[in-house]
Order: sequence, then C-alpha cells, then structure tokens
Amino acid sequence: MSTKEKLTFDVIVVGAGLAGSAAAAIAARNGLSVAMIERGQTPGSKNYFGGALYTHSLLEIYPDLWDRKPPLERPVTESGFWFLSKDGMVRATVQGGKMQNDPIDAYVALRAKFDAWWAEQAKKEGVFIIPKTVVVDFIREDEKVVGVITDRPDGEIYAPVVIICEGVNNLLTQKLGLAKHDLKAHASALAVKQLISMPAETINARFGLPSNEHGLAASVMGDVSMGLPGLGFLYTGVDSVSVGVGVTLEALTKAGIKPYELLQRYLNHPMIAPMIAGGRLMEYGAHIIPEGGWTTMPKLYTDGALVAGDAASMVNALHWEGTNMAIMAGKAAGETAVEAHQKRDFSAKSLSAYRARLDKTFVMTDLHQYRNLSHFLKSRPDFMNTYPAFLNDALGMFFSGFGKPKKQLYKDILRSLTDRRPLVKAAGDMIAFGRTIMGF
Amino acid sequence: MTPTKTAPQNDLPEVYIDDILMTLKYFTDEHEVHLKIIDPQVCMNCESKPCVQFCPVGAYRTQDGGTVQIAFQSCVECGTCRVLCPNSNISWKLPRGGYGVAYKFG
Ligand SMILES: Cc1cc2nc3c(=O)[nH]c(=O)nc-3n(C[C@H](O)[C@H](O)[C@H](O)COP(=O)(O)OP(=O)(O)OC[C@H]3O[C@@H](n4cnc5c(N)ncnc54)[C@H](O)[C@@H]3O)c2cc1C
Ligand code: SF4
Ligand code: SF4
Repeated sequence: MSTKEKLTFDVIVVGAGLAGSAAAAIAARNGLSVAMIERGQTPGSKNYFGGALYTHSLLEIYPDLWDRKPPLERPVTESGFWFLSKDGMVRATVQGGKMQNDPIDAYVALRAKFDAWWAEQAKKEGVFIIPKTVVVDFIREDEKVVGVITDRPDGEIYAPVVIICEGVNNLLTQKLGLAKHDLKAHASALAVKQLISMPAETINARFGLPSNEHGLAASVMGDVSMGLPGLGFLYTGVDSVSVGVGVTLEALTKAGIKPYELLQRYLNHPMIAPMIAGGRLMEYGAHIIPEGGWTTMPKLYTDGALVAGDAASMVNALHWEGTNMAIMAGKAAGETAVEAHQKRDFSAKSLSAYRARLDKTFVMTDLHQYRNLSHFLKSRPDFMNTYPAFLNDALGMFFSGFGKPKKQLYKDILRSLTDRRPLVKAAGDMIAFGRTIMGF
Repeated sequence: MTPTKTAPQNDLPEVYIDDILMTLKYFTDEHEVHLKIIDPQVCMNCESKPCVQFCPVGAYRTQDGGTVQIAFQSCVECGTCRVLCPNSNISWKLPRGGYGVAYKFG
C-alpha cells in the first residue's frame, strides 16, 4: 500500500443512475460523507430508457421538486395500450379524468439530460461525484466489504458501507455472491429505441395533443414484437418521439432476428409510419430490462454492502415501472446506511433493515404479485400474438360489413377467435393471465 | 399445452446499421479492447453464429474461415452477447472509465 492516507468516506455509491443519486442524496442530507462513482464521462451518459418517470418517486427525494426545475419533457396526459395487428390497430387509451391529477403522475424524460440533473441535485446535498471511473472489485476484510477497487491508478476507496446501484449488468452484485447467476435469457428483455425529432406542433397535431403540456405514453402489443414475448412503446417528448420495442433475449435468439430490423419493421407498420413520417433520427440505443423481478432478485444485503434498482432486478415489466422502484430502493438504502452509521453496525444483520424498509413499499409487494409474469409469457409464447390480432379482427368486423345479418357477424367474430385458439384454451389463457397479474 | 407456432414470418426490412450508428457518440479507447473472443476455434465450430443476429449494433461480423470479429468500437454495452453466446466464448468487460458509448439524449 502507498504511504498516502487511505481515501475514506462514510458511504460509497456505485453508479450515478436513478437509484444511485437517490441513495447518495439521502445519505449526504443526513450528514454522511458520500462518494458516488460513475463509469460514464458524466452521470447520465450511459443511461437509457423508454420512457416515463413517475412524479411520486421524484417528490419522495425532493419535495421541492418543481422549484428545482427538473428537465422533463411532456407530462403524460394520455396513456394506454395500442394493440397492433399486421395492418391495423385497436387503441385503448385514457385521457382526462385521473390523467389530470395535480401533479400529473408521470412525465416523459430523456435520461442523459435527466440523470445529469438528478446527480447535480445529489451534489448540492454534498455528494462527491467521481466520474469516468469503473468500480472493478471490492476491498474485503474478514469477508466484510470495506471499500471498492476502481480502474484508476491507486484507485482504492474505503467506506464501511457500499451501496451498489450498477444497473442491469450487475457484475459486482454477482461478484459478491448476492446474485447467484448472470441474467436469465427468458427473464431479460433487450429493448431498442429510436429517438425521432419532430416539431412540437407536428407532434401535437398527429397525436391529438392540445398543447406541449400534453403528452402520450403508449404500450404497444401484438405485431410490434412479431408475436414474440415483448412489448413496444411510444412516448412523446416536447419535440421528439421515442419509439422502441423489447423482446426477451430467449425469444430474440430463438427467432434469429436482428433487433434493429424488428424495430424498423415496427416503424414501417402502416399505422405507425404516418405518425413519424418526416421525422429525423436523433439517436438509436439499446439496453436490457431485468424483467424477472421477484424471481431473479439477488439477496439485497451483505456485510458492508446493499444493492438497489436494476442491479437487484426491481422492474415491473408490464407497467414499465423501474425508475420509481430504483429511486425508492435508493432512498431505503440511503436511510439504512444512515441508521447503520448511527448504530456503528455495518453487519448484514444491521443492514437487513433495508429489506424490511422495502418490504413495506409497493416495490416488494408489486414485484411479489407479478412474480409469475415471465414464466407465464414463456409458457404461452403466442399470447402476445393471438389476442391483439383477435381484438383487431373482432372490432374490425363489428364496425364494418354492414348489411349482413348480425347473427352471422357474431359467428364470424367467434370464429376468428377459435381459428386462433380453441375456446377452452382461450378461457384458460384469460384465467391464467388474471391469476398471474393478481399474484395467485 | 399444444405446441404453438412461434416462428415469425420473415417480413423484416433490411437495415443498414452503420447509418443508424452515425447518431451515436462514442469515446473510443485506443489502448484497451473491452470485448474479446476467448477461443476463435469455438466460433469456427459454432454453426448458427447467433451473435451476428442478436447484437443490437451488429458488432459481430463473420469473417472468411468462420471466425467472428467484434467491432468493439460500436458496442453500446448492453450485455446481450455475454448472456446469449451459447458457448460462453466472449470475455465481456465494461470499457474503462469514461470510454465507450455516451448517449446525448438517452
Ligand atoms: C427501453 C427501456 C424502456 C424503459 N422504460 C421505462 C419507463 O418508461 N418507466 C420506468 O419507470 N422504467 C423504464 N425502464 C426501466 C428503467 O430504465 C430502469 O429500471 C432504471 O433506469 C433503473 O435505474 P438504476 O439506477 O437501477 O440503473 P441505471 O439507470 O442503469 O444506472 C446504473 C448506473 O451505474 C453505472 N455503473 C454501472 N456499473 C458501474 C461500475 N462498475 N462502476 C461505476 N459505475 C457503474 C452506470 O454507468 C449507470 O450510470 C425502461 C428500460 C428500458 C431499457
Ligand atoms: S455465438 Fe459465441 S461462439 Fe458462436 S460465433 Fe458468436 S461469439 Fe463465437
Ligand atoms: S454488449 Fe451488446 S452492443 Fe456490445 S457487443 Fe455485446 S451485444 Fe453488441
């Protein structure tokens, strides 16, 4: 070891993403010295999503959120599902009513901008940010984590508690043995996205938004994923539209398709192409979503370390909720670090308070409720194809073909279902789906 | 359960990934390569070479002789190849601090 003094903090946070900057801010606000280590050039430069952030989680860390002028795009004032068939679409979206809550529940955002600002707020709480630095391993004494090793020369940093917020590729969490295995192909989705620039007025006109203070979040099912277990999405920014699709790694490799071709196929869809016509590609990207949730969750604490966010598989895939879980978990981890310092006890037993805190929030209850979703989609590979296509047929028939006896219409509708799936099996699918999302 | 057909009809458009990658900003590490093929022989025996399909930036390209080459410069560090290579033949590390993809928007 060098003759220099050991670089020591009260808390080290690995990763300046949503979980990391939340954990760091809470710890620093309570008087601890905090180093937050980020591998990117700047916080945010590695971070990627659809997507929408949820107001409740931002307010949880900064009650004076609006005074801080967060760089958000549009509020989500219309949200719902689009069911794509090969050449058609059924939309089930909601607007007005609860979508006008004050404050609005969700905001579209771009992560490179947002996460830079999010980290800046943590810095204002006193967090020391160390960018352009990769944490490669831990320093351990008697099996306890007491610091981290970075890829810088003399890059050892000490702290009695390390909060791991490294995101989906949780190599450090695996290294500590908290995660017993790497990501599972059936429970991880690769999502690819294009950010397309368009004038705000064009976006307003095409998506029926009265002003820039209105925005759309659509979850897209069916033909978008070629029927593979996956989802598409479309979010409106102020003067950009985020359009993407994710499918499980297992389905991707089995089908032997190129992710960017799947995305282009979605963008070329006759219902989607006119929405984005004339737009200019601003940025492409790809990122994995840890959809396994409860079933792939690592152990959340050990002597001297805690794990939060995507690194701990905290994502509810059906609802696109990952950011709020990451922030809530970061907060709980930060609070636990503060408490551990008060008790001067950094043992696994002391840090298990983190789990107890999380158990009381929607993070754990929701992840537990949705625990069978990945398995459900794996065991019913055609689910994402059959029903969106049927829905398009059924409504299409209902609202067309006038002048024919209605009796025949209902027969035809029923037929379009049974041609795809025998009635008993369809009923079974619905019951199983219901049970899956209810968590039975 | 009765077997269901998952094989999609192949109506995928052809995409020139290089055009799309122009929108991405990278800080390329001139001194260290973060992705490596562990054993080229294993790739030669890997018939389907799924990495050529599943990588979202098309970083894996087949070469004469049946090996593959990784254009690590265009990697967006998603992790897919580490998980999906059927032979675990990829040594996957994060780029050194500050290097690799840098999203402008995210
Ligand atoms: C396409 C897509 C769409 C999505 N849409 C939504 C949505 O609409 N709403 C929603 O709520 N969620 C959405 N999610 C999920 C959501 O983005 C994630 O759950 C969330 O970003 C997780 O935050 P995190 O802080 O845990 O991880 P991240 O935001 O990934 O942060 C991890 C950080 O750690 C850094 N890091 C990693 N390893 C190291 C290391 N060894 N050393 C130093 N630094 C390191 C990284 O650079 C990064 O800054 C989406 C995800 C994807 C991929
Ligand atoms: S999938 Fe793995 S083993 Fe096969 S060619 Fe690609 S890198 Fe080589
Ligand atoms: S990490 Fe992702 S982008 Fe990089 S080479 Fe592997 S599959 Fe391609």
